[in-house]
Amino acid sequence: MALHLNLLHEQIQEHRQRQRDPLKIGMMVLITIGALLFLYYGWNAYRTLAIKARLSAVEREWAKVEPRVTAAEKRSNELNDIIKTTAVLDEYVEHRFFWGPFMERLTRCVAPNIQLTSLEGTVTDDKGVSVSIEGVAAAREPRSAAEDLRQMLSEQLGQAGYGDVKVEFKALDDLETIANVGGASVPMAHYIMAVNFQPTNKPRPTPGPGKAPRR
Amino acid sequence: MTQGRLTKDQIQKISLSLVGFVILMYVYFSFFLGPLNRSRNTMLGKIRDTQSKMASSQDNLSKAGKLEQQAKTATSRFAAFKALNPEGAPIAWFPPRIKLFFANQQIDKAVARLENNSAFKQAELASWMKYSWLIDLPQADYAKLGKAIAELENAEPLLALTRVSIKNTTDQPEFQVVVLSATTVIEKQ
Repeated sequence: MALHLNLLHEQIQEHRQRQRDPLKIGMMVLITIGALLFLYYGWNAYRTLAIKARLSAVEREWAKVEPRVTAAEKRSNELNDIIKTTAVLDEYVEHRFFWGPFMERLTRCVAPNIQLTSLEGTVTDDKGVSVSIEGVAAAREPRSAAEDLRQMLSEQLGQAGYGDVKVEFKALDDLETIANVGGASVPMAHYIMAVNFQPTNKPRPTPGPGKAPRR
Repeated sequence: MTQGRLTKDQIQKISLSLVGFVILMYVYFSFFLGPLNRSRNTMLGKIRDTQSKMASSQDNLSKAGKLEQQAKTATSRFAAFKALNPEGAPIAWFPPRIKLFFANQQIDKAVARLENNSAFKQAELASWMKYSWLIDLPQADYAKLGKAIAELENAEPLLALTRVSIKNTTDQPEFQVVVLSATTVIEKQ
């Protein structure tokens, strides 16, 4: 067997050691990974730039549309306000109590021997309409004449479509005074009537003379 | 040094490499890729928001167009309500108008006085005011009064009579003394 003498053993050993230097290998690995990461970053940056360009395009488009949209929203709000206000005003108009038809019905009930001296009527949102009627009745039986007025008024108001009609005497007194009705002297009675009703199914207001109803 | 076993120096170098790797990863993700991704996500979010706004804006535009068509009646009615009352303070024009109205109905000496005014509770009527008036008619005939009231209720849809007082007078039996309480809805000036 031939004998080989390696006189460069130490140099070769050092060379091998240098080649297997972990720091060097680590640096190479790090550089490789760094390069890969850089490439990945570059790819991401490219995508981000593309997205930025897309965003700019979308924002430009929105900037074109926005004034129209804002104006349309403003107009929509305005229209909604108008619709709501008109609805409330319409309700106010429709829920008014019309005194004209009531006065006409009252007129129909007053016979020649009946006189009204006072009428006080109020409308409240919750209690409906309250009317106090004061007057005198003259007849052979003046209390009966006043009762006729009460009954007729109750009937007329019921026919007019008012709800919960109540016509009651608050006072009914004989008077000493004698009245002359149709040439005959008859006794008189003083009455105070309370009329209460709900203005449900309200009739339309009586049109003024010579004019067509506007509602 | 034996084959397969690491020397202390090599271990130190490997550790240094690992530390370098960790630092590299930290710097990369914290200062490079992380902000880039955040920025990209933010932009994507903005794009989504803007696109959804644009989609809803198209919807709103079409709705506004439809609403404009639907609200024609309401707008014309609203304009009619506004046109009922002239410009200026109601105290300046309402009493003369009432006086003229009753004079035209052959009821003279009508006097209208402002009792009070108040705002409405309803939000819809925030730009409208309620005015309460007292209308004195010292010389009214019942029949003419009835017709006049009916005409007034027709002519003034935003006017409501809340109280009616009719009394006989002893000095002028052909006339009645009438006091009317009226409320009107008038747009704020």
